Amino acid sequence: MNWIGFQTLLWKEIKRFSKVFGQTVISPVITTLLYLIVFGFSVGDRIPMAEGVGYLDFLVPGLVMLVIINNAFMNTSSSLFISKLQGTIADLLVAPISNGAVIAAYVLAALVRALLCGAAVVVIAWVVRGIELRHPLEVLAYAVAVGTAFALLGLAIAILSDKFEQLNIMLTFFLTPLSFLGGVFYSIRVLPEPWQTISRFNPILYMVNGLRHGFVGVSDVPHLLGLGIVLGSCVLLWGWNLWLLARSRKLRP
Amino acid sequence: MVFMHDMTRKAGVIAEGAIPGCGKVENRSGGRLAAENRSGDRLAAGSPGGCPGDLGPVCGGRPPAGNPPDSPGDRERELGGAGPPVLRLCGVTKHFGELCALDRIDLAIDKGEIFGLLGPNGAGKTTLISIIAGLVRRSSGSVEVMGYDLQRQPLQVRSCIGLVPQELNYDPFFNVNEVLRFSMGYFGRRPDQARIDELLAILDLQEKKHTNTRALSGGMKRRLMIAKALVHDPPLVFLDEPTAGVDVELREELWHYIGLLRGRGTTIVLTTHYMEEAERLADRIGILHRGKLVRTGTRDELLREFGEQVLVFEVDRPPSPLPPGLRSLGVEPGENGNRLVYRYQQGQGSGVNEVLAALALEGLSVRQIHDRHTRLEDVFLKIIGLQSGRRP
Repeated sequence: MNWIGFQTLLWKEIKRFSKVFGQTVISPVITTLLYLIVFGFSVGDRIPMAEGVGYLDFLVPGLVMLVIINNAFMNTSSSLFISKLQGTIADLLVAPISNGAVIAAYVLAALVRALLCGAAVVVIAWVVRGIELRHPLEVLAYAVAVGTAFALLGLAIAILSDKFEQLNIMLTFFLTPLSFLGGVFYSIRVLPEPWQTISRFNPILYMVNGLRHGFVGVSDVPHLLGLGIVLGSCVLLWGWNLWLLARSRKLRP
Repeated sequence: MVFMHDMTRKAGVIAEGAIPGCGKVENRSGGRLAAENRSGDRLAAGSPGGCPGDLGPVCGGRPPAGNPPDSPGDRERELGGAGPPVLRLCGVTKHFGELCALDRIDLAIDKGEIFGLLGPNGAGKTTLISIIAGLVRRSSGSVEVMGYDLQRQPLQVRSCIGLVPQELNYDPFFNVNEVLRFSMGYFGRRPDQARIDELLAILDLQEKKHTNTRALSGGMKRRLMIAKALVHDPPLVFLDEPTAGVDVELREELWHYIGLLRGRGTTIVLTTHYMEEAERLADRIGILHRGKLVRTGTRDELLREFGEQVLVFEVDRPPSPLPPGLRSLGVEPGENGNRLVYRYQQGQGSGVNEVLAALALEGLSVRQIHDRHTRLEDVFLKIIGLQSGRRP
């Protein structure tokens, strides 16, 4: 195992997003805080909530999940795609680093960024309002597992993409709508049928509710089901990435 | 001066590329090597010049300081010749859809050798290098580097290789020093600032050490890519047109450095469009044309086989008609009435004495003799022309 190679790639990836910290960490945190201000402080009081949970307490876990999903996906996808565009991917492809180590380094760096953004939102929300944290281990498990899954997804999409547009399609037409319709801003219990049933086919619903259960102890769905879905997805996505790195003609024609 | 080739005479001697099944492979020391079995026993013995670290049995690493080869015999052994080839290709073929980019390439390259890979644009040079370096997948055939099989031991193969790709690339997030530290790390080497500084000095990049790679000129980017390929001291280096876009002065310095690398026992595969570069640096030359390795040999072998020496005798009066004694020796009338042209194969018996004797016999007095010998470029054009079935 080329540990030095793995460490170097991990450090390089962390350094890469740190060099544009304003764009990769501060900007998404500010965007998330805008959601918090608009939905949490202005219209939140008018939204009826069950089980005695305030809307802001309900909203924060959803926003944390949103920021983790976006940043984990963006970090791996943009980094690998830029390497492909610039041709520097060749430096990695000729290096004696195993495909597993390459995936692990990219994913860990993405996790660092995603968790940094998520933690920033939590800290700011805690300072402003003071939020609950009932099951910290559950929060951590969901944050890490979801970050890993979307980092893996971003990596695979970047390997397969030939244009930036293809990355954006994934983000604009799949991830953002699924996140927004995944119970970030509302409980699916307020939805009429058939939308409530349809929502249950959205995997992000289980991730958001799992994290919400960790923070405030309420969930629209069985709270550990999401963890099972995410961990299963991680295994599949890891295998897919291994296959792509070994076989994809997009990297090695 | 008039210089015409007799292209068609040599058509029959040009190799038709690879040998199916790779029973024999050409290399420098033995001319032809019998194919060895690939049981893996030899591979497991490790590679010469292996380096320590977390990579395990991998390549790279300069020879220990203070332990240079001290006798010509040591030097000979150091440069290989008797040992297994550093690079061994057997029936390497690559198809891009319907296009056959490489057709059963067989080749063996010895340790310390500089192998010049020449060919017109699109001949398959970069594809071949990319297959060995792991950037392109081969359709069939086998590749061995330092005894490691690319199929079964890709990481060990990669650890033995330094690649300077043809296409310029740069990472806009990092400066020159950071890029080199990363390159070193990728190959399992802990950052060695002294080694990086040494390379920066050789490649005249010290002043750009902390400059973002985006801000480098084309020539500087090329030099940085050379530094990246060499920073982990690989025993096998591929230089895919390394001096393209580099100024004359630096080209000289690079050539000098390539000579130093060879002195350390580094094996180099060089592709270039500068014939002067190949002529000056390469121990052996391979000519690739339309995916086939049509000819390999040393510069002298190629010149002997395909080169011509042309002598133009300027005589005191026009020998018209040309006397039969001269005609029978192959002398032809020149462009000007007072000139006679005589051609002979380079490296073979010249027959010049016989021509001079025949001139004297005809009472012709020689005022001047002009000569011209074939250069590598002429040989290259001749071989490519013959392969294309045309007169170059």
